[in-house]
Amino acid sequence: MARLIRTEKEVEGRFEEVWIVVEEDPLEQWPEGARSVVGRPAPRQDGPLRVRGEARYTADIKLPGMLHAAVLRSPHAHAKVRRIDLAPALAVPGVRAALGPGEAHGLEEEAGWAGAPVAAVAADTFAQARAAVEAIDVEWGELEVVLDPEEAIRRGHLTGEARRSERGDVDRAFAEADVVVEGTYRTQTVLHNSLETHQAICEWQGDALHVYISTQYIWGIRQEVAETLGLPEDKVRVICEFMGGGFGAKNGPDEYTFVAAELAKRTGCPVRCALTRREEHTSAGNRNSTIQRLRAAARSDGTIVALEGEFINSVGWSGWSSPTEGPMRALYACENVRTVTHAAQLNTPPMKAFRAPGFAEGTFGLECLIEDLAARLEIDPLELRRSNYAESNEGTPYSSKNLEKCYRLAEPHWERRHEVRARSGTVWKRGVGMASQIWYGGGGPPSYAWIRLGSDGRATVVTAMQDIGTGTRTAMAQIAAEELRIPLESVDVVLGDSARGPYASISAGSSTTPSMGPAVRAAAADAREQIEDIAEQRGLPRDTPVAEVVGLLEEAQILGRGARGPNPTGMSVLTFGVHVVEVAVDVETGEVRVERVAAIHDVGRIINPLGASSQVEGGVIQGIGHTFSENRLLDPETGRVLTTSLDAYRMPTIADVPEIVCEFVDKPDEHLTNLGSKGLGEPPIVPIAAAIANAIRDATGAEVHELPISREEMLRALEAANAKGRRGAPAAV
Amino acid sequence: MRRAGVELLRPSSLEELDGGVFVHGGTEVVPLLREGLLVAEQLVDVRGVVPRGVRNGVIGAGTTLAELEADSSIPEALREACRLAASPQLRNMGSLGGNLLQATRCWYWRLDYPCRLHGGDRCHARDGEHREHAIFANDFCASAHPSDVAAALVALGATLRTNRRELPLEELYRLPDGADRRTTTLEDGELILEAALPPVEASAYLKAMDRRRWSFPQVGVAAARVGGETRIALAGVAPIPWRLESVDELDRATPLPRAEWKVPLARALVRRALSALG
Repeated sequence: MARLIRTEKEVEGRFEEVWIVVEEDPLEQWPEGARSVVGRPAPRQDGPLRVRGEARYTADIKLPGMLHAAVLRSPHAHAKVRRIDLAPALAVPGVRAALGPGEAHGLEEEAGWAGAPVAAVAADTFAQARAAVEAIDVEWGELEVVLDPEEAIRRGHLTGEARRSERGDVDRAFAEADVVVEGTYRTQTVLHNSLETHQAICEWQGDALHVYISTQYIWGIRQEVAETLGLPEDKVRVICEFMGGGFGAKNGPDEYTFVAAELAKRTGCPVRCALTRREEHTSAGNRNSTIQRLRAAARSDGTIVALEGEFINSVGWSGWSSPTEGPMRALYACENVRTVTHAAQLNTPPMKAFRAPGFAEGTFGLECLIEDLAARLEIDPLELRRSNYAESNEGTPYSSKNLEKCYRLAEPHWERRHEVRARSGTVWKRGVGMASQIWYGGGGPPSYAWIRLGSDGRATVVTAMQDIGTGTRTAMAQIAAEELRIPLESVDVVLGDSARGPYASISAGSSTTPSMGPAVRAAAADAREQIEDIAEQRGLPRDTPVAEVVGLLEEAQILGRGARGPNPTGMSVLTFGVHVVEVAVDVETGEVRVERVAAIHDVGRIINPLGASSQVEGGVIQGIGHTFSENRLLDPETGRVLTTSLDAYRMPTIADVPEIVCEFVDKPDEHLTNLGSKGLGEPPIVPIAAAIANAIRDATGAEVHELPISREEMLRALEAANAKGRRGAPAAV
Repeated sequence: MRRAGVELLRPSSLEELDGGVFVHGGTEVVPLLREGLLVAEQLVDVRGVVPRGVRNGVIGAGTTLAELEADSSIPEALREACRLAASPQLRNMGSLGGNLLQATRCWYWRLDYPCRLHGGDRCHARDGEHREHAIFANDFCASAHPSDVAAALVALGATLRTNRRELPLEELYRLPDGADRRTTTLEDGELILEAALPPVEASAYLKAMDRRRWSFPQVGVAAARVGGETRIALAGVAPIPWRLESVDELDRATPLPRAEWKVPLARALVRRALSALG
């Protein structure tokens, strides 16, 4: 039965109180451990389609008569259009329509960063559209540019008020502590670089708009496009069947969707607006840089008594202020914690959510600081983490927490440090480091699924969710197969179209499996109960195999429906983990090789161990790129992005990938839905940079304070360690 | 408009060459054309006229990096420089001659800032973002030369033969200055045909990158012993491949503030390369 509740909704660490209609979730969870399908490795059902190039991504869609749009972007980091003349663009051969500032949502007269969208053109070919954009005559009035976050804060250039949190008596705790450590940590700006660039194709069919889009949130696009264009939501159909990655940057429609919609309206033709790779690097979002000034205090027995952090998020021209302070507030039991987080508004490209926004950055700073504390206290880093174990989330009980189990699983990997260090030579020094992980990932209602079974014994799951490349399709099929007790091969999943299925959750905040999985299971259970009733009416036992019963149906079908039940009230649903990393450092050249990563995570029940380890490997590899080589650079004079190509912005290649060992606690969260599963998209990127930095410290004594750990930073840290006369592993126990 | 009206010529003899932009594997020229950094009305596919393959220490300029990497008659420094360059796909296409003529990866030059190398009156990197830039000969232009292969061949003492002349490889390169912004001495219509190597006693190439593969050199160091003489050449440290007489010359480097880290890095690699010569 549906009921109206008031609940706290969380996406990517942002909370809001909402009224929502939820349905009860009466199903008992399956017992712990691998079932016949769930909990067993399943290759991706759509793997062959993707590998053969048959999966149709938004980038592959070519509608009859489709035009191509290009966007004029500001070359200035801060400027206002004084005068704009679109006539020269309209005179370019093949051009069908042009839009100036204000003529589509997102095209604006004032450009707050270099790359801000200003005008757009549709033409028969993309090359014609590009040429036309270059022909647009603009007179710019340049405005003052602010690029330095500390200057922005001094001058009150903020995207919002500073966020403050405080518990206990921090000043007194610092004054009375035995040991105090402090440090300033910096993280760089990194880019999402999904394989598929941001893009949409819009086509009007009468008064209805069809939007083909590479997105993480079909229903969010539908809602936002309808609201912006003043359409009823049912007049907007959003389609995304296969998707080439998002990492948080594709949660909303953005200017390219509105440009395509308006140009399609004016020309009467479908219009594609696709960002180029260069535009991805200037105008598609980023993980913003941070500055973190941190302090920690402890008693000599290892009890952390106070933590304090001042965090600066360089948000950019617009965006939101990520919870960079989140790990400091939540990872350890500590009675006295004070944080302040500033949101600097700069004339730089706006941030967007990026795989554990705030927590990936904040964990680097905090877990390096904790390592420093362990060294000062001469306590084993694992022991220090264990002895400050948080039993509640700032007073709120956890729905489940198995971080201690993660630490136990980490022991054999941590034990290897003696043998790893012993393999050090005079040039290559080896060491082991660790860092803990905390993040959200509980998902939430509403989310729905339908299921359909016919006399052929096959089941089709229908829901208008998206699979952003994470293997969700396969996980959903496993859940349905398990509940229906039919083979995995007998289940198809239809998704990716708002006109073909019910509302489904966003694929962000590690929420897809915990939001959608319970709805799919509920739909399958609804169908199974109907099938059992039919069996009983035929005088068969209720547990007669499904295929046998539905064989009687002829043209009749069994239709099941399911909804995601509420999250447990008064509880914090969080994910946990720990990484143990082995590195080798060439102390003469500053080269660092990550040789082994043990990634241990507690995310409730694992649906597909194969898909789960893929997620962890992807997160670790992306995190290695963020740790060493990825760095979006700006020209300090103009604020223009310098690293616009993939030879200047360096992502890791397969040669950078170490041995990655994935382990899961795999214990269902007994309070969370009929599945007990949490999300795993983000957790693996959270601790990797800090674990690498701590391993470098263990190997060499060098303390890195910045991401990326470039040769420059590594050589600086080695030099500083030499100057201090330190050698080897100070925290060794 | 880019690429509009480009004519592609495929000469079968050197006598047919008459102007145009030469292209072999296309891994350098095509991206430059696409970016508008190179403008061509005629593209001349020189694969029919440039020798390919290795014979008696003479390397055809059309030999690909992949072929050199696998050829046991090629000195170690050059094989290693090829092996550590680019990606397998690019090495399968890229030719030796084209590799020697690579343009800098300086982001200001690549983004078409009106810098000195483009004929303008300032070096944007000097006042701006120069953490990957030159530590020698950088007061006019701080760009860094990206070719691993060029550094290796300079150390190996290679001689080039073009359709017009023979010259030591070092004389192919020149530092840009106010009067002439070019970084090579190649004349219009001049085409590199072959590189000849003297007998090499020992050689090595070491390269620092910020990821394990597929990066231009932060610093590349080639060392070779040729006719009893030890020769050192570096990539990524000056606007052209840079000869060093000894490791001590690094004390006279003039790094810009954020490129200082390259000096100790180069020192470590030069020492290591020299000791690898045995």
